[in-house]
Amino acid sequence: MKKALIVLDKEWLELRLQRGLLLATLFLPPVMTAFAVVVFYAAGKFSANVNTAGAPLPPEFAGLPPLELAQALVGRQFSVLFLLLPIFIPSVLASYAIVGEKRERTLEPVLATPIRTWELLLGKMLASLIPALAITLGAAALFVIGIFAFAITDRVRELIVTPGWVLAVIVDTPLLALIGVALIVVLSSRVNDPRTAQQFSAVLVVPVLALLFGQLAGVIVLGPALALGIGVILAMAAAGALWVATRLFQREVILTRWR
Amino acid sequence: MAHAIETHGLTRKFDGRVAVDGLSLTIEAGTVFGFLGPNGAGKTTTVRMLAALISPTDGDAIVAGHTLGVDDTALRGSVGILTEQPGLYDRLSARQNLRYFARLYDLDPARADAQVDRYLHLLELWDRRDEPVGTFSKGMRQKLAIARALLHEPGVVFLDEPTAALDPEAARTVRDFVKGLKAEGRTIFLTTHNLPEADELCDSIGIFQRRLLRMGSPSELRAGLFGAGTIVRVVGDAARYVPVAKALPFVHEVHADGDTLTMQVDDPDLRNPDLVDALRGAGARIRYVERLQHSLEDVYLRLVGGHA
Repeated sequence: MKKALIVLDKEWLELRLQRGLLLATLFLPPVMTAFAVVVFYAAGKFSANVNTAGAPLPPEFAGLPPLELAQALVGRQFSVLFLLLPIFIPSVLASYAIVGEKRERTLEPVLATPIRTWELLLGKMLASLIPALAITLGAAALFVIGIFAFAITDRVRELIVTPGWVLAVIVDTPLLALIGVALIVVLSSRVNDPRTAQQFSAVLVVPVLALLFGQLAGVIVLGPALALGIGVILAMAAAGALWVATRLFQREVILTRWR
Repeated sequence: MAHAIETHGLTRKFDGRVAVDGLSLTIEAGTVFGFLGPNGAGKTTTVRMLAALISPTDGDAIVAGHTLGVDDTALRGSVGILTEQPGLYDRLSARQNLRYFARLYDLDPARADAQVDRYLHLLELWDRRDEPVGTFSKGMRQKLAIARALLHEPGVVFLDEPTAALDPEAARTVRDFVKGLKAEGRTIFLTTHNLPEADELCDSIGIFQRRLLRMGSPSELRAGLFGAGTIVRVVGDAARYVPVAKALPFVHEVHADGDTLTMQVDDPDLRNPDLVDALRGAGARIRYVERLQHSLEDVYLRLVGGHA
């Protein structure tokens, strides 16, 4: 475990030296959250003439006055951001941490030290997961504060900060992040460009977007049961992805099969 | 003398293709062993097996007192390796690179810092210690990679092409450093294409092309392959003395070129006086008598050429 922390320390040192990557991944989420809160606030002030005639709406939005409806719709759409961030942030960080290291041919000297392969993998994964989850949960907390501060009614607040959404953020996002990182490890055995790995891993946003559109269309209601159910599925998917990742992230495989 | 490396029938196959075929060798502690062979001969695969980076398909080995496949983590901690590519973190400084590896090699923080500083001084990188490695020349990167392999003071060091792509001055620095390592009693396993370098540095040499073709000291390899030879320079045309030399029972393969006679002689130390007497008896006026030296390149090309 000690060596995993040494790897983690080195990864963060490198991250601190990559200003562009650092800005793009760690500072963008708070900015996006601030933007979401501002738009949410504005929707509650200036959307009196919102017209949703003919548009499919979640059943719980029925009967809302225009301003509340506008705020609830804006808030609901932005709330999904916090399910997407844990996919993007660790994917970007892990792709540079693993594919980058493969491209620079720095893995072999590391593998030649008395580090165990799982320690190296754990260090790499934690280096991506910890900042991703910290920034996601931090940004989600800011979002909740913004919703509580600027929701024009309690009903709007309850429609956005639902138990299902809270559970999804706390339970599902770490699992999504884990799957994202495991996928990067799997892709690392085949690609040499971090951006290619990121593009492939972006496929993970599809189920999240499906959840968003399903909710907005009233087809899916993200309640606690569904959030937990998704969590179970994600946990199984994460276990499978980790199993494949650990098999591919073996000293022997890295040195003889990674191209 | 103890063996630093001992292998028996070490074999590695990749999808049925044999990369290393039954390698058996012993390397004495405190010596420099040169591992020569053409590209794709399996040298890097051998080094990776001996450094416990990949497993052999068959055979066994003891490296630095550790049996391969028993406690590979401990084995890796007992050897140092300079990989084919320096593999350094370009954004990190020389010091940060070395500190990272010192910690991975289980050095406590105080000793890690001391070792890092020591090798930065030894390899003349101290003045650039806090600069990103990405700004370093090839020679500096190679020196830093060598320092990395030595931070934990391993008894056995694998150096894969340590002077490849270096300018003559940097290559000389690295060669001198290798000599220093040998003087400290370390065992060096040196992979190189630079045959004069191998000749200069190595106590023993293995010529390898998927399997070990020949092993011995540079002089043993020369003598074993070409025999001992003598060159005699005479006044005038040497061709007229060829029959005289050929008539001597201890002389073989006589060639004349201008004023020079080249021949194989059984035990030249003992027989050269008789050879000189016979030539002088035939009227030859002798300018010089020299030992015929075959280069390691001759040895290499004869062995590898025959198996290409």
